Amino acid sequence: MNISIIGYILGQILRLQSLFLLLPSLTAAIYHEKSFISYITVAFSCFVLGTVITWKKPEEQVFYLKEGCVATALSWIVLSLSGAFPFVLTGEIPHFTDALFETVSGFTTTGSSILSNVEALSYSSLLWRSFTHWIGGMGVLVFLLAVIPMSGGSNINLMKAESPGPSVGKLVPKMRSTARILYLIYIGMSIIMFLLLLLGKMPVFDALATTFGTAGTGGFGIKNDSLAGYSPYIQWVTGIFMMLFGVNFNAYYFILFHDVRKAFKMEEVRWYFTIIVLSVFVIFTDLMQFYPNFGDALKDSFFQVASIITTTGFATADFNLWSATSKSTLVLLMFLGACAGSTGGGLKISRLIILVKTIFKELTSYTHPKSIVKIKMDDKPIEHEVVRSANVYFITYMIIFVVSVFCLTFENIDLISIFTAVAATFNNIGPGLEMVGPTANFGHFSDFSKYVMIFDMLAGRLELFPLLMLFHPELWKETIKRKLK
Amino acid sequence: MFGRRNEQPKGLKIIIVGCGKVGSTLVEQLVLEGHDITVIDTNITKIEELTNLYDIMGLEGNGASYSVQMEAGIENTDLLIAVTGSDELNLLCCTIAKQVGNCAAIARVRTPDYSKEIGYLREKLGLAMIINPELEAAREMARILYLPTALEVSSFAHGQAELIQFKIPEGNILDGITLAQLSSKVPNKVLVCAIERDGKVEIPSGMSEMKAGDIISFVAQRATIKNFMQNISVKTSKVKSTMIIGGGKAAYYLASQLLHMGISVKIIERDRKRCEELSILLPKAIIINGDGTDAELLKEEGIDSMESFVPLTGMDEENIMLTLHARQLSNTKVITKINRLAFKNVIAELKLGSVIYPRLITSESIIAYVRARSASIESNIETLYHLFDGRVEAIEFSIDKNSKVTNVPLMNLKLKEHVLVAFINRNGKIILPSGQDCIQIGDTVMIVTTHNGFDEIEDILK
Repeated sequence: MNISIIGYILGQILRLQSLFLLLPSLTAAIYHEKSFISYITVAFSCFVLGTVITWKKPEEQVFYLKEGCVATALSWIVLSLSGAFPFVLTGEIPHFTDALFETVSGFTTTGSSILSNVEALSYSSLLWRSFTHWIGGMGVLVFLLAVIPMSGGSNINLMKAESPGPSVGKLVPKMRSTARILYLIYIGMSIIMFLLLLLGKMPVFDALATTFGTAGTGGFGIKNDSLAGYSPYIQWVTGIFMMLFGVNFNAYYFILFHDVRKAFKMEEVRWYFTIIVLSVFVIFTDLMQFYPNFGDALKDSFFQVASIITTTGFATADFNLWSATSKSTLVLLMFLGACAGSTGGGLKISRLIILVKTIFKELTSYTHPKSIVKIKMDDKPIEHEVVRSANVYFITYMIIFVVSVFCLTFENIDLISIFTAVAATFNNIGPGLEMVGPTANFGHFSDFSKYVMIFDMLAGRLELFPLLMLFHPELWKETIKRKLK
Repeated sequence: MFGRRNEQPKGLKIIIVGCGKVGSTLVEQLVLEGHDITVIDTNITKIEELTNLYDIMGLEGNGASYSVQMEAGIENTDLLIAVTGSDELNLLCCTIAKQVGNCAAIARVRTPDYSKEIGYLREKLGLAMIINPELEAAREMARILYLPTALEVSSFAHGQAELIQFKIPEGNILDGITLAQLSSKVPNKVLVCAIERDGKVEIPSGMSEMKAGDIISFVAQRATIKNFMQNISVKTSKVKSTMIIGGGKAAYYLASQLLHMGISVKIIERDRKRCEELSILLPKAIIINGDGTDAELLKEEGIDSMESFVPLTGMDEENIMLTLHARQLSNTKVITKINRLAFKNVIAELKLGSVIYPRLITSESIIAYVRARSASIESNIETLYHLFDGRVEAIEFSIDKNSKVTNVPLMNLKLKEHVLVAFINRNGKIILPSGQDCIQIGDTVMIVTTHNGFDEIEDILK
């Protein structure tokens, strides 16, 4: 294994982290907060450490999928660890495990918090929390690819490890241009949303933090009641943009540079919108029994559906109080997740399509045992390899889910809370039901449970295998052997 | 200059149809030069092999189909190169690309049936270039057999000038003299462009010394080359007989060229039907039906009395084994054709003498074209050769307009290091330049350099 290139990538990540940390430092300076010292110290240390590590460029720049996976997984761990220090140093989250949970929850765009009173945080820490969503949403290695020139075609392996979805392709021949296009779309949409929020008379700071949370489909609120306190206009804008950030970014590329029709023909996008419409309809009819007002019912049902399916986790209402039908609809949506190639988490719609089509294929093979059916998407046959990996993904996903639920049962709380706590962290959503509902938080869990959920969040964001690779004994055996030589 | 290159990679958008041997070599070379490449092939595994190695995009499908070309973005493409296994498919790809995308198109056409009509096809179909790797390889082999002491012979200025690579034997006059002393020892005008010693290549100055065992490459007017070689007492007569193993396309092209030069040819081919075809196509050649790797048969056919031996089987390993076998038996001139590039270093270690890589020859001419396209209009690349395993580039520019290099005596130009102006071709006359000579409009100028990626004449300046 090419250890030196992995080290080099980690060094670059640390340097990037120091750049990211300048934003909360700046915020602290603007609001004259004491936390400035903490943020700038961590930023400076990251910069120094990163520069030392990247001082010498490795000679062998070629790397393969395994190095890509390991580098990605370690990058995310390094980001989370270094991003957690400011919280501890400022004393706002004194316990390191809590700070790590909060940062991982931020970078993985989960949005589960251990804080009971968010409003007590300083402005700089609030912004840092939300900003981690924005960074984590599109992926930090994709950002690295966009800004740092790396030679060779090896860097597709970084993109493969970090980008969500069953198969990863480029938009244009050059990796760097692809990464740039993705980030341009991402930044462009964020700016539009920010301006629209400002139009709704949202304070600048709130608008910025909300935009970060929405764009990354994260869901950290800056108020204790999430978004419930804002005007319906702001809630609609946020809801619609959550939905838009859950769409496969390829669709936007087609709209911008190619053929608009092609974007609307994407099967995944169609399924995505169909599922949203159906779920909104179910919850809306359900809510109409309790809500006096037609508009509010529509707004809350749409907002919650968009928030859960894109795995954002903002809330405008305490859906924990809703009926069983509505709650179970939301729980089902938790598992589906957004489109592949978006900033959302979960199982991904494209995998769902493949799995559903496999079921139909299986049924056909019962009626016509010798029939040959190729599963198609967007009118193109899907490689057997992709179908197989979608199936394996689903199985692995279920196993990790069940094991995590089991690990959390030592908490001695009700099963719904445990089940939805795992679902909410594993799918990078944020709030669950009952004790982890939209008005509650994750602070009451033991350290062990928190580490289980930290693992779940990272595994969910990195799509399981890059993280699991770290635990593959063969990988380390080979590496250690080589080191000994 | 360097900064500009880094910031603004002026890549062309290129589509390559067919990920076979030539296709993948092209990808490798063109990626290095910073172009945006999309490959199309019907075999998805081949595409994945390439997309995993290089920074390119892959597309599965039939490259001649309109919808596949549209999906690859033919409308914004500068160049389409069709190098699938089938000539007809390649021509169809290019024809459709011309209609749909109005881009430049290059096709590989290698069947001998079409080879005589290449000019006609190219003009009528409006193609930028038609490449025939087998024919190009055969031409280069024929040039070497014409001057068997040479390791490589590359021709410039429409054959007026040639660049010869050869190894200085023990006790030669050249051993131990500097380039400045060369003109006093030998009356002929030649210019030494590069010297390889112990695996290192350098562009020499007047003070550089030549030693026995060095491989030098020099440029001269074609007519003076033989004379020069005689003056330094190196054998210059062309070979009189050749044995070719394998009767493929390259063998056919080579045989017909050699017969034209008056060299007798013997071809050994395994397949009886192919032998019959060859005997119709090449009535003057001796066609033997048999296994070319059979040592007894080779002996029977007189391998030890042949003046040259060219194994052209489809297998690199067989070619190498046959070369080694022939060298052991006699002192005959051997040329080895190698398809795979991956083991170039190993093959260089074997010291096989002249080695020909048809894939490199093809990509050289395409890269020359691509560089010329992405360059400015003041100059144009006529020919490009990679020498010494690509460590040295020899590029011939045609000077179309006034620029910083024109009408200035060469001694006043501030050239980069490791750059040499090898000759100026003025109206068919080859001038080996001195410091007083100037480059003028209408000349073609040959540059030898260890830098990579020159695409316009001004790149030679600091």
